Amino acid sequence: MPGTFASYLEKLENSRVWRSIFRSGRGTSTLHNALAIQQNVFLHLFPTKVRKRMLGLGATWYLGTLTLGTFIVLVVTGVLLMLYYHPSVPLAYSDVKDLQFAVSSGLFLRNLHRWSAHAMVFLAFAHMFRVFYRGAYRAPREFNWVVGVVLLLLTLLLSYTGYLLPWDQLAFWAITVGTNIASAVPLLGDKIRFLLLGGNLVNANALLRFYVLHTVILPLAAFLFLAVHFWRIRKDGGLYVRESEPGVKAKKTSEEQESL
Amino acid sequence: MTTPKDFKAEIGSDMRVSQKRVLFITRRTSPQVKTHDELKVQTFPEVLIRAVLAVEVLLVALVTMSLLFNAPLEGLANPTNTPNPAKAPWYFLGLQEMLHYFPPVVAGVIIPGLLVVSLIVIPYFDINVEAEGFFLKNRKQRFLWAMIVSGTLSLFLLVFDVYVALVPTLIMAGLLLTAAYSTPETKNRFRRYLALKPISWWIMTWFLFELFVLTVVGTFFRGPGWSWVLPWRS
Amino acid sequence: MQTKNTSFIASLKAFLRDPYRVFGVVSVILLLLLTIAPAKDYFSEWHGFQRQYLRFITNRGDAVTLRRHFEGGIQQIWIPKLGVVDRCQTCHVGLTEASLYDVKEQPFRAHPAMPHKLTEFGCVICHRGQGAATTVKEAHASEMAGEEPILPTKYIESSCGQCHHSALEGTPKLNLGRVMLSRYGCVHCHTVTLPDGSKMQATDDPPPLTHIADKTTREWVYAWLKDPVAYSATATMPNFNLSDADASDISAFLMANSKPGVGDTMAVAETHGPAPDPTAGASLYGESFCASCHAAQNAAGNLVGGDLGPELTRVGNKVKPQWLMAWMRNPQKYDPNTPMPQYRWSDAQLKTITAFVMNKSDSDYMANVHLQPATPAQIAHGKALVVEYGCASCHEIAGVPKPDNFGPDLTRIGSKPVVQLVFLPGMEHSLPAYLNQKIRQPRSFGSSFRMPRYNFNTNQVEAVTTELLSHTDRSFDLPAELQVPTVRETNYQPAGHAGQLMTDLNCFSCHRINGHGGDMAPDLSWEGTSVQSPWLDEFLKNPNTLRPALIRRMPKFNFTDAERKELTDYIMNVYQNPAFLRDEMPATGYAPDLVEKGRQLFYSKYACQSCHMVNPDVDKGYIGPTLTKVGSRLNASWIYHYLKDPQALRPGTVEPNQHMSDDDARALTAFLMMQKSGSKGAK
Repeated sequence: MPGTFASYLEKLENSRVWRSIFRSGRGTSTLHNALAIQQNVFLHLFPTKVRKRMLGLGATWYLGTLTLGTFIVLVVTGVLLMLYYHPSVPLAYSDVKDLQFAVSSGLFLRNLHRWSAHAMVFLAFAHMFRVFYRGAYRAPREFNWVVGVVLLLLTLLLSYTGYLLPWDQLAFWAITVGTNIASAVPLLGDKIRFLLLGGNLVNANALLRFYVLHTVILPLAAFLFLAVHFWRIRKDGGLYVRESEPGVKAKKTSEEQESL
Repeated sequence: MTTPKDFKAEIGSDMRVSQKRVLFITRRTSPQVKTHDELKVQTFPEVLIRAVLAVEVLLVALVTMSLLFNAPLEGLANPTNTPNPAKAPWYFLGLQEMLHYFPPVVAGVIIPGLLVVSLIVIPYFDINVEAEGFFLKNRKQRFLWAMIVSGTLSLFLLVFDVYVALVPTLIMAGLLLTAAYSTPETKNRFRRYLALKPISWWIMTWFLFELFVLTVVGTFFRGPGWSWVLPWRS
Repeated sequence: MQTKNTSFIASLKAFLRDPYRVFGVVSVILLLLLTIAPAKDYFSEWHGFQRQYLRFITNRGDAVTLRRHFEGGIQQIWIPKLGVVDRCQTCHVGLTEASLYDVKEQPFRAHPAMPHKLTEFGCVICHRGQGAATTVKEAHASEMAGEEPILPTKYIESSCGQCHHSALEGTPKLNLGRVMLSRYGCVHCHTVTLPDGSKMQATDDPPPLTHIADKTTREWVYAWLKDPVAYSATATMPNFNLSDADASDISAFLMANSKPGVGDTMAVAETHGPAPDPTAGASLYGESFCASCHAAQNAAGNLVGGDLGPELTRVGNKVKPQWLMAWMRNPQKYDPNTPMPQYRWSDAQLKTITAFVMNKSDSDYMANVHLQPATPAQIAHGKALVVEYGCASCHEIAGVPKPDNFGPDLTRIGSKPVVQLVFLPGMEHSLPAYLNQKIRQPRSFGSSFRMPRYNFNTNQVEAVTTELLSHTDRSFDLPAELQVPTVRETNYQPAGHAGQLMTDLNCFSCHRINGHGGDMAPDLSWEGTSVQSPWLDEFLKNPNTLRPALIRRMPKFNFTDAERKELTDYIMNVYQNPAFLRDEMPATGYAPDLVEKGRQLFYSKYACQSCHMVNPDVDKGYIGPTLTKVGSRLNASWIYHYLKDPQALRPGTVEPNQHMSDDDARALTAFLMMQKSGSKGAK
């Protein structure tokens, strides 16, 4: 019976435990909605209100949101993949083979991780170009653009370090080609390559190093910069609006508009 | 010793639900929003539901792709057996394509280094702020500059036989020429569009075009020994 | 229609305008999609095979047993030491069920009997394929991971060769391939390194071409280069598919490059004389056992004789008589490495045998070969061709150094990835098919390839392919204790004057001593312990075979008495077994009851007569050597120790180890020592 379900829900939402977690309380008033954002450690990074014209697909194409979405998918699938993976030379490859042939849904998990990684690189680039063409990098958002560039580099590094982990021919030679480019840096080239690989060759040391970079160092850095990136959206005055874009003029009491 | 409670502490139910909040605004801490009479919606739930929806659509696409296509996995890494060609991940193939033409220091260090630096400094460049059509002011002088820069660049690419990068450069130069002879009053819509584009737009579009062409060529059109192959001919 | 369409679009637009409703729909789609992945697992191929197996065994009489043995889920053999993760048994469920040996329906047939346990080596080490895979396509013919596909059964013996580097009884094809790789000189051009670091050695004997003009004519060289098989059906020289002009130029160069060798030819006067008796030639050819090594076509067109030396059917068309006679006198003058022995014939015998051999000719052969005298340009071109085709890889040619690694290294050819091969249109894309075609028709891959064509039949091509497939990466990666090494050739050389005599005689062409030499005749390392001195002396004077069933026999060398005595003394004193004393048991004087006991053991307990003969009238054993005169041939202590453990004294002998007691062995020795030449035998 729907009435019963709704009443149980109401009871739950008014319970002491629930209210201790979700402070904003029950209700659909503007205050409640604003509190839902402000009182959540993750959501409070975002502004409580957004211009209505930014909701449409045309303005942002949701590219930033989608990039974040791929990142979350990658974290979840990546953690699950870590359960089956040893970053050591004879085992890494056979672990991937096991994922492919013996682990339940292992192949699906790996596929999802792989394609999401490609999607994230693509979406990060697309996001950057979209922001540029909208002119959304202009003052006061200069620094957030710089944070975005750092995040793009982090995305590339995350994808690149993950590329080695299956330890197959594709991985080995892609990393060999890539790190050889690093050794072209004048004077310090070979040192940089040594630092990247933990040796002079792509071998077990390089695999371990890339694994730690891929699963610990770079994701932590990405989390950090993502937090700054979102926080700065709010602090820099919300999503950028171009004068040329058609605005939605508010009626008399703009603050109280609810329906769409 | 038993002492009966002689007082009872009570907290108003409202107090327990929401504690007292003080709202204060300090000056000059956050930028002012200029347009006030603009319709706004609450992030919760209007924006969040749309964000979640967008991510769900993305997930549907990714899950479908993961069910249909398997991630590539080749033979065990073998340092003695070099595949020909050995390719980097696709997003580095533009760089690898450049490595084919230029010494590693140029293609592997200077070009990507310059790219990152120029991306970072974009918002700090004042000329971008105007965001006006490039040829709307000082048309003659700017036209000369544009032709000198694109001509030098084309010549440079020609000398190094970088036809892959030369073709997009020439196309962009052609568009630049069209823009120079267009005004916001031109009848053709496309020319009107070009006439309104600022210098930053031209540079970024040229970069995007080059990035796209080089990556596509590196991914699909390069075979053994980095020779030119056609992907539809196996 | 128009209005209906627009109203539909309009309602869709209205629907999309409500994010909550779209959210609901998309969520349902996403959840449904997410359930497909585990469903895919459940309906996987291997699950299907296991269900099929359970249905298959239901109607069998041994269903209860089979069902008890059945274990569901992914089954694997895991041997970390060998890098084996084989999940083949996930689908091949009945692999170890002996009762399923005749099942037609794969994957449920039991594996045939094999020398190794499945659990010790898994499947992939022998069959290749991808052991970790759990789908039919990936396991058998993986395209995705550069894995090796399943090896066709006709090449399966190659897998044995990854560990077993010496001949095995069960692998005739591999053994043949190994012999051929050495015999046809493949390893002159191609380096093949074995896992123990040694390189495969050629066993052919390509003649030096430094003095070839002494031996033969330019016309013959031309005809031979054009088609070696036309001259001799057993030619080991391959066909280089040379054009007429190229063959002419090469022959011109070889002739012009040839320098007369000292003692290569004999004066014309010496070769001419009174016409030798043709029947004498035939009998000399026969008693010298030339046919042990050389073959010739008989009147019926069949090839008769051994293959150690070249076929002699048309040798009269090839060699010059002056050269042949000098060669017969001392072959090592012309070719220091020849396996041909020095026969020590008298001048009269030399004339007889030369005339007899020169008579083996074919008037039709080379009838149409007429060459113009060569110009210097042609000779220079001939030299360029000799360099281009790598002739010096096999032959010694003055002025042309032996090229290093002329052909590609074949050390790991058995693991060459398919992606590195270039296939002909319409060819099967697999390594075995490629190797097979490359051996059969090397030039079909393009005229620029220099590899010549060998005259191999299908069986031989498969044998060589099998051999090449055994040189895998895995053979290098497997633990060293699994490697069964090849018999390593030592560089043993006998010393002193007797040693020189043995070198002249080329004893090592057939006999093996202290790990050096051929395997055609018995190993002589312990001959001094084994035989009695008078017998050896007599044998060298007039060799008779001990095994009547053998065709190959020891030739009769024309020793002087002094030479024979020296050789006998050397063998008797030097080639001794260190494990026991030759004379620790007497040659005669055994008690009659001991002899009688030995006789009974011989005929009843051990039934030796089934292989050996003591009394030719009664016994029918032809497998082992005749023992009628064994008491005059062998020493008692040798017989005694041989009976106790035959394999210790003659490794690889078929003589069974009966684990005799000391008493039985002594009695049999006594009995056998009574079988002396001139005695009445065992009556």
